[in-house]
Amino acid sequence: MFSMTKTLKWTLLFSIFFMLLVTRAWAEDAMSELTSFGIEELMNIEVTIASKKPQKLTETAAAVFVITQEDIRRSGVTTIMDALRMAPGIEVAQSGSKVWAISARGLNGRFANKLLVLIDGRTVYQPLFSGVYWDIQETLLEDIDRIEIIRGPGASIWGANAVNGVINVITKNASETQGTLLTGGAGTEEKGFAGVRYGAKAGEDMSYRIYAKCFQRDASVLSSGDKAYDEWQGMSGGFRIDKNDSSQSFYTLQGDISYGEAEDSIIVPSTTAPFSNVHDSDYSFFGANILGRWTYTFSESSDMALQAYYDNSKRNPFTLGLNKNTFDMDFQHRFLLTSRHEIIWGLGYRHIHEPIDNSDVIITNEEFNSDLYSAFIQDNITLVHDKVFLMIGSKFEHNDASGFELQPSARLMWTPDHKSTVWGAVSRAVRTPSFIEGNGRINQTVLPDDTLFPGSPPAEIALVGNDNFDSEDLVAYEMGFRHLLTKKVSLDIATYFNQYDHLRTFEQGSMLCEPSGSPFPLCLPGDNIFIPLSAGNQMTGEIYGVELSSDVVVNDWWTLKPSYSYMKVQLHLDSNSTDTTSESAEGESPHHQFSLRSLMNLGNNIEMDAWLRYVDSLPAQNIDSYITLDLRLAWRPAKNLELSVVGQNLLDNSHAEFKPEIIDIASSEVQRSIYVKFVWNF
Amino acid sequence: MQKRIICFAIFVMILNPLAFLFSPGKSCADEHSYRDYEIKAALLYNFAKFTEWPARAFASQENTITVCVLGEDPIETPLSALSKLQVKGKNITIRHINKHTDMRNCHILYISQSEKRNLPDILSKLKGLYVLSISDIEGFAENGGIINLVRLGNKIRFEINITAAKNSGINISSNLLDLATKIY
Repeated sequence: MFSMTKTLKWTLLFSIFFMLLVTRAWAEDAMSELTSFGIEELMNIEVTIASKKPQKLTETAAAVFVITQEDIRRSGVTTIMDALRMAPGIEVAQSGSKVWAISARGLNGRFANKLLVLIDGRTVYQPLFSGVYWDIQETLLEDIDRIEIIRGPGASIWGANAVNGVINVITKNASETQGTLLTGGAGTEEKGFAGVRYGAKAGEDMSYRIYAKCFQRDASVLSSGDKAYDEWQGMSGGFRIDKNDSSQSFYTLQGDISYGEAEDSIIVPSTTAPFSNVHDSDYSFFGANILGRWTYTFSESSDMALQAYYDNSKRNPFTLGLNKNTFDMDFQHRFLLTSRHEIIWGLGYRHIHEPIDNSDVIITNEEFNSDLYSAFIQDNITLVHDKVFLMIGSKFEHNDASGFELQPSARLMWTPDHKSTVWGAVSRAVRTPSFIEGNGRINQTVLPDDTLFPGSPPAEIALVGNDNFDSEDLVAYEMGFRHLLTKKVSLDIATYFNQYDHLRTFEQGSMLCEPSGSPFPLCLPGDNIFIPLSAGNQMTGEIYGVELSSDVVVNDWWTLKPSYSYMKVQLHLDSNSTDTTSESAEGESPHHQFSLRSLMNLGNNIEMDAWLRYVDSLPAQNIDSYITLDLRLAWRPAKNLELSVVGQNLLDNSHAEFKPEIIDIASSEVQRSIYVKFVWNF
Repeated sequence: MQKRIICFAIFVMILNPLAFLFSPGKSCADEHSYRDYEIKAALLYNFAKFTEWPARAFASQENTITVCVLGEDPIETPLSALSKLQVKGKNITIRHINKHTDMRNCHILYISQSEKRNLPDILSKLKGLYVLSISDIEGFAENGGIINLVRLGNKIRFEINITAAKNSGINISSNLLDLATKIY
């Protein structure tokens, strides 16, 4: 057993014991102070309103980072993906103009599968591939209220597969987006973009908004310097209606529709010379969704929510055509069992129906159907009044691929005073098998004739799904500390130790002859050799690290926001594994990441913002470390009009961030760019 | 080596908050923010100071004032801190009861929001008992309860029903009556 675990476990236990021992006195102190006041004084004290968000406790007893609308605006980012670069512990790597690899705490890749991404409670995770298609860009950035990022498992109540973290994009309530907003701009990589939004009230209790936007992005550049084939453009529109039935009952109805076209450049393996071809193709993608939510508040300590949505997304790239239909329903209820036990529990059901169009690169069944049943229960226990809280809970899930899964979690939180929080957690999470890992074939490369042995025919290597492929699992030990050092400086530290088991490997299977099907070496003339690499679970690993973020108010016009992450990935193949590639994931995540944002409010309504970022190298992909700088200058000539110019990735002509895996795509770099933008409110 | 650094970092992280615990001159006290149920608990303690029960009410428990809590409410946690205090030389005992408990042995009864539907039933059970009934249920005093805690904006106020108090044989000091926002 890795000794690291024992040390962490004992440290955690010791700190809990200490907390309980020492804070016993504190609870009584607070009340004895209150009881020393006379009645008139008591009647004069202003009361703090308890938070109505049921997840508040789990969010503060976790590694949380919130990106606000202000952060999004001042950073000059044009996509949600780029905004995520502000968060510690999150790796965002871009290859070309539209392929992103985003993950939390390691094991990144284009098909990084351990991060749950939600937009207003609707998941954008794809169970077909276990990943997220980031090129669907529906929301108007100005309508985003905040992006909540929780690193670590077990922190999410909505949804499955939140192994390394959850990203929840939350849009503003319609009552906060009233009036008309017009925005537009153009630049070198952002060739052009425009958006319009209109919001109004319908009666006393109801507000709504509608929006439309479009964008066009330039192609990026290959490492050779040539232009890549990955231009893309899209448009989307939608609405949101919010209604208060009474002070206790709230309804929300929202929907979006989007359409886009993109260019793709894929390296397609072939069993005839030259054995691989660059295939440039165009594809389109379409998305539509509608979501309804009803929240009812019984009292300050009890409420419930019911949510249902339907989501359709279609895409037809050369590699695989999909038409995914999702129907999801979730229910959640929070109440006080006793004065010290707050219970939150919920049920969920999700049905996916997805016809598939195979290609020469990816071959699988013609249809993917899945039913997911889930439930969760959580007990938030007040051990010492307002000071020490213990949360014990678990998610229960039944899915078609791996059956029944159990994901328990325990969190302890101590708030010695209103300035500090100390928390610790132990959780288990699983990443359930994707459809393709169960039954599919992805042709990767072809070895030309004469390569395997003299006179050998061409040999095609393909990743092959396997019915026995099981869930990957994780036990995570986490600890964190949040403190307001002074009124102007805050600090947030999170540390973690993740122990993974049954990580995916690709095990060499018996060679076959194709198309005859005879086993090797009984190939008929004209056959090729087929080398299957079958999905297996023969790898374990440990990932550990520290993440720090801070807010420093230097003076009333200048704020600095630094953040830093350190991470170490250690993977171990089982002794009987024949995998040759999966262990290299150790070198596919940067050890260090650093980000520093500087926000300055100069006179005359001018804002000057800078963002410096350093990302360490990815040795297994031969990607060098890089430093980038983004600058933004904004001016408000009138109260409702903002003009800005933003330069991104200014320090280099272009730099590479990662090489996409699984499907061979010409690897492209991120270029230096500049754009201008206006935002007009009236 | 790296393992040692991380262990050390974690250990430092734990010591740090503990250090704050032992540092003198914690000025946070004046900036502490209170929840409404904490203030209500403190008010309840003060109500006890300004109330007189007939001697008969203490026949079975001479030196204790029993505060009963009916239903589930976050007030219970700060109330438990009151058990360390005394009112007029008597100790305070906090008890959690349900609707079947005999309320005869309660001197003060706090009725939680969760019991809203059972209110008429509870009030009829209290008739003739020497119990100071307190609640934050809307309209409590108007409907026959003795002290009603009310939130006005961000501050806590209270209303007193003197008829109900008289009917329970309880005497509420005029100092307390003066501070009530409404008298029924």
